[in-house]
Amino acid sequence: MSNTILGYIPLLDLFFLHLGLAFSQWIVLRAGVFSLATVGLAAIGAYTAGIIATKTGIPAPLGLLAGAFTGMAAALLLSWPLARLRGVYQAIATVAFLQIILSLNIYFEGLTGGAMGLNSIPKSVGTLTLFAATAGTVYLMVAITHSRIGRAFDAIRQNEAVAASLGVSITGHQALAFAISGALAGLFGALEAYHSYALVPTQFGFQYLIAIMSYVVLGGRNTVLGPIVGTAILILLPEIARPLAEARMLVYGLLLILVINFLPKGITDTLVDMLKARNLARRKVAAETAETRS
Amino acid sequence: MLIQQLLNGLVVGGVYALFAVGFNLVFGIQRLLNLAHGAIFMTGAFVAYYTVAAGWPLWVGFILAAIGSGVLAMLIEIVCFRRLRKSGDAEFGAIISSVGASLVIMTVWQWISKTQIVRFPFETFPVIIFRFWGLRVSALQLFMAGAALVIVVLMAWFVYRTSFGRRVRAVTGNEKAAMLVGVNPNRIYNQTYFLSGALAGASGVLVGLAFNNINYMMGEPYLMFGFVIIILGGLGSIPGALLASLIFGMVQTLTIAFLPSGLTNAFIFFAMFLILLIRPNGLMGKEEAGALRGRR
Repeated sequence: MSNTILGYIPLLDLFFLHLGLAFSQWIVLRAGVFSLATVGLAAIGAYTAGIIATKTGIPAPLGLLAGAFTGMAAALLLSWPLARLRGVYQAIATVAFLQIILSLNIYFEGLTGGAMGLNSIPKSVGTLTLFAATAGTVYLMVAITHSRIGRAFDAIRQNEAVAASLGVSITGHQALAFAISGALAGLFGALEAYHSYALVPTQFGFQYLIAIMSYVVLGGRNTVLGPIVGTAILILLPEIARPLAEARMLVYGLLLILVINFLPKGITDTLVDMLKARNLARRKVAAETAETRS
Repeated sequence: MLIQQLLNGLVVGGVYALFAVGFNLVFGIQRLLNLAHGAIFMTGAFVAYYTVAAGWPLWVGFILAAIGSGVLAMLIEIVCFRRLRKSGDAEFGAIISSVGASLVIMTVWQWISKTQIVRFPFETFPVIIFRFWGLRVSALQLFMAGAALVIVVLMAWFVYRTSFGRRVRAVTGNEKAAMLVGVNPNRIYNQTYFLSGALAGASGVLVGLAFNNINYMMGEPYLMFGFVIIILGGLGSIPGALLASLIFGMVQTLTIAFLPSGLTNAFIFFAMFLILLIRPNGLMGKEEAGALRGRR
């Protein structure tokens, strides 16, 4: 029994690592920023941690902090130009950012190991650390959702003009969302560095970006539960149906098309909306019967 | 040396133009980014290769590639975009949906090509090199430049001088008003996507011939370059895309020649970032293309 559980530990680690990045993507989408920069920011965090671990003797916790911090700093820098852009233009600009990171990464060979990547990073992050980081992230997300900031994010996403007219600073809040996203991406990138011994530049490419995006789109973009459900499904799916593992990209592709067309809000958001509608209908019926009685 | 590089750049730019004009045509008419354009481009290269490998002459492959890619683009519009357009949030949805389509197409070609790089057989296109004024120009380069020029002129004639083009521009301007005067927008969308896909397919064949390296990942860098070109030229502007492609082709060959290798991409994308900041509408984009416009 314990063996079967142990066999799934790598999967669980993968789930935590990807979930962290999924939340990094989720929080910017939530604030109405159309950014695809998460993977690039994660690369920054991962390489910061990796370089610290292999070139200096600084202990891992500080490396993680440094990863989160550089991720956040890069995100803040990026948020300044992005604030001037909207929609498709933001998406294109962030894809350009990812390309810049990828090619600089290969160019600065002395620092990042170039195309060979960084090897023999001492492993100092286990499942427990990953769990703690993810739990902390989920708590933070729930807290944000229920705070004024979360409501401001929702307002901006739904209608910028209205949000601005209500005195919600759009640039300020989007920069904040970006900073949180960058810190999360940097942190989980650093965790990945300390968890998987080695980093290669191709790892933080377009495919990773698509995977992270799929988690959020499939799960749902407006509830904290969304990325959790989406990540769990897409990580477990190839394990449950082995033949699917080979066609992972095909499955992702088909899922993206089907979900965005037929379930545009994602699984959890659709369910939550359905439950809400049902409750409302029930309450309405109750109110009407109460009226007729009185 | 410099002039030779500029010439090479112009030829490459011509091929980029085929790719980017189609990309921008679609964005112009629907305000949607079709991220499967790179996969359509690759489909063109593969179709031409397999036609030639089956023993047919190259020109048959070229035509089949253009038709095949066009049909594929049309299918993508019908399957991935049609439903989305009716819902409100098509801008985000189209990116996701077309990335999905791109993944599916890439996987299919990966299976067909068994993850191998395929190459046109030697002398599919005769290797002839002309020399004049100290410059070297291959017959293939001449053919590329000629084909790009002919196709772009044909397309410009189509869009600006025919009834079809008037309908396209009517739908671009205002879909509802176009419907009132009896234009069926869905049909126009099909035709536009076909045109855009056929252009991408043609450029795929040319790139396949030029670099003789066809693989299932080949669309990705071109999609990225396509982004740079349409940002430089202005999203939605066809002449802008044309001009920007030529500039981009030359700048790219020059940076490859004179910058340390590896910095080329960083330089190009950084330049694009600057354009987005300073002049988000590009060289010829109209103000209403609206980079700075609030989301509806």
